[in-house]
Amino acid sequence: MFSSPNRVIVVLGALTLTLAWVLDFGVIQPNRIVAGTGYGLGEALGLVASVTFSVGMVMILGLGAVASRFRYSLLTAGLLLLLLVLPWGLALFAERQLPGSSTYARTAMGAGFWCLLFLPALMLGECLQRLRAGRGLALILLALVLTSWTLAVTSGDIDSLSILKEYAARPDQFRAALSDHLALALSAVAISLVLAFVLALMMVRRVSWRRPVFGVVSFLQTVPSLALFGLLIAPLSALSATFPLLQQLGIQGIGWAPALLALIAYSLLPMVRNTFVALTDVPPTLLEAGEGMGMNARQLFFRVKLPLAMPVILEGIRVTIIQAIGLTAVAALIGAGGFGTFIFQGLGQAAMDLVLLGALPTVLLALVADAVLSALASTMRSAP
Amino acid sequence: MIELKGVSRRFGEVLAVNAISLVVETGEVCVLVGSSGCGKSTTLRMINRLLPSTAGEILVDGKNVCDTDLQTLRLNMGYVIQGTGLFPHWTVARNIGLVPGLLKWPEARIRERVDELLQLLGLDQEGFVDKYPHQLSGGQAQRVGVARALAADPNILLMDEPFGALDAITRETLQNEMLRIKQQLGKTTVFVTHDIDEALRLADRIAVMDQGRLIQYDAPEAILRRPASLFVETLVGSQDRGLKMTGLQRVGDAMQRHLHPRPRDLDKPGVREHETLRQALSLMLWQGTESLPVMDEDGAEIGIISRAQIWAGGH
Repeated sequence: MFSSPNRVIVVLGALTLTLAWVLDFGVIQPNRIVAGTGYGLGEALGLVASVTFSVGMVMILGLGAVASRFRYSLLTAGLLLLLLVLPWGLALFAERQLPGSSTYARTAMGAGFWCLLFLPALMLGECLQRLRAGRGLALILLALVLTSWTLAVTSGDIDSLSILKEYAARPDQFRAALSDHLALALSAVAISLVLAFVLALMMVRRVSWRRPVFGVVSFLQTVPSLALFGLLIAPLSALSATFPLLQQLGIQGIGWAPALLALIAYSLLPMVRNTFVALTDVPPTLLEAGEGMGMNARQLFFRVKLPLAMPVILEGIRVTIIQAIGLTAVAALIGAGGFGTFIFQGLGQAAMDLVLLGALPTVLLALVADAVLSALASTMRSAP
Repeated sequence: MIELKGVSRRFGEVLAVNAISLVVETGEVCVLVGSSGCGKSTTLRMINRLLPSTAGEILVDGKNVCDTDLQTLRLNMGYVIQGTGLFPHWTVARNIGLVPGLLKWPEARIRERVDELLQLLGLDQEGFVDKYPHQLSGGQAQRVGVARALAADPNILLMDEPFGALDAITRETLQNEMLRIKQQLGKTTVFVTHDIDEALRLADRIAVMDQGRLIQYDAPEAILRRPASLFVETLVGSQDRGLKMTGLQRVGDAMQRHLHPRPRDLDKPGVREHETLRQALSLMLWQGTESLPVMDEDGAEIGIISRAQIWAGGH
């Protein structure tokens, strides 16, 4: 298939090459707080590696500019290779520039490194779209890149990386944060799914429910998250003070209880909206055909309505999970735990690496949830 | 047998169906015809109780439909609607097997029945059962819709403008299919359409409806010969009534039969005995002849049809 130059690839490729050379690839910090010294691509990786990278990038640019037969396959392979070796670039940087004497010294990823991560990832996305590749291939590529990172981390070669140092200082806390974060976000989504389902069913059945329910859940969505978390403290404290049983269950003004309530409140709008639209979008002629053929209400619901509504409901779950994972980070402010704890601690101590230790896994969780649910929804769509 | 006794249906202020009484004998095809909004669909949907009737009673084989369990009633009535109503997430096989499945037939018997029906409707191609509705043409989909209605061998077939959304050629093919199925299975059928030609073609008896009232209920020929009102006359088209009449009669009934079949003269055009007088007339006009030879299925000449015989049958 021959076609004209791909502007997206050319622009992003040129940008990657320029920024990789102009911005710092990595930073060496003598300790956690003090600002470090930046190293450009050449200094960071040495002549051989940086020239190899540049030549590779120029080839990618060329493939983007000149029409050729297998260009998107070749581009995909090249960009994948770049993303795979990226963590090992950090290892090389640490080996070359980290002073061996100091145990406090650490390496950090520079702006150039982030560009090398995100711009090629964007280009890869463009290539996959041009190849009309399914979600499956995208998931495989993502898994490969994650594997490379996992290998790099477990090899110990990038232990000097600031974010890993922060992790090494608190592995138990990190694990607790992960499980708190997931438990909070997922249980909020699960509970809101059940609630939304019941609400949507009532709204399908009774027209008079539609406006008030949409009104309330839309209103909840407009309350700023910090405010809602804060607003729930007072009533919950009062409740738990009045009923000791609640206190024994761990329900207090701060902690997981108000966080969960707020997260459920925020999850309701996307969940109710999608479930309601999904259920009402089933063509009435189908329902009438089924009814006229002798299906009872239960059979009609479980065999026709629900299966036809499923892709849209899944889409609602996807949006809600991503939103809940993000909001759970804020819930750390009222002592709910999760990755937000690191973010707020880091902000308090002016330790950006600790902020990163909270922010990166949050983003990663959201991306994984997105990928998994999109794949699920698309398989349901393709096999109707 | 289906009996409607003074059946009415009110939507708020509007009387959609106004005291309709009619009887559909077992094995007969009754076509409800009228312009849109005349209450014909409403009447049909009261028979399987998709809509409750406001007044009057509907008896199926002598039993009031309101006294029959809703599911049992509907499972014994095949239902075909315009635009098929096939479930898009089910294969052809699963769609056709819907009612047998609801009746808890064993899997093997359902599969057998599906194959049987696909054969009946000329859909028995390799791999057809595993297709999804969106992979079918309009005609194929509606055939599947008819197969689905026939699946559990119901006594009664209800068809609500089943061919309304199809193109003219596909519609005609499916009408022929309906006539064949009618001859083969002899189901008591209530068929709704706004197309008077379709009604004349398929019906044993036609019920002409207007503004919720039954205007005339009669055999197609009687409807053409003796329209009960100006409305019916306009509906059947007073201008080409004669031609429509010839469309109701078979060549085999009007021709002069030879004592012994003769070998056919291949140069002379001819008609077959199951074709209509209208087709014979058209061929005569085209050929400029006064008479045509009539063939049987094997192509032997078994009689002759002349203009005079068509004239004699035409009124």
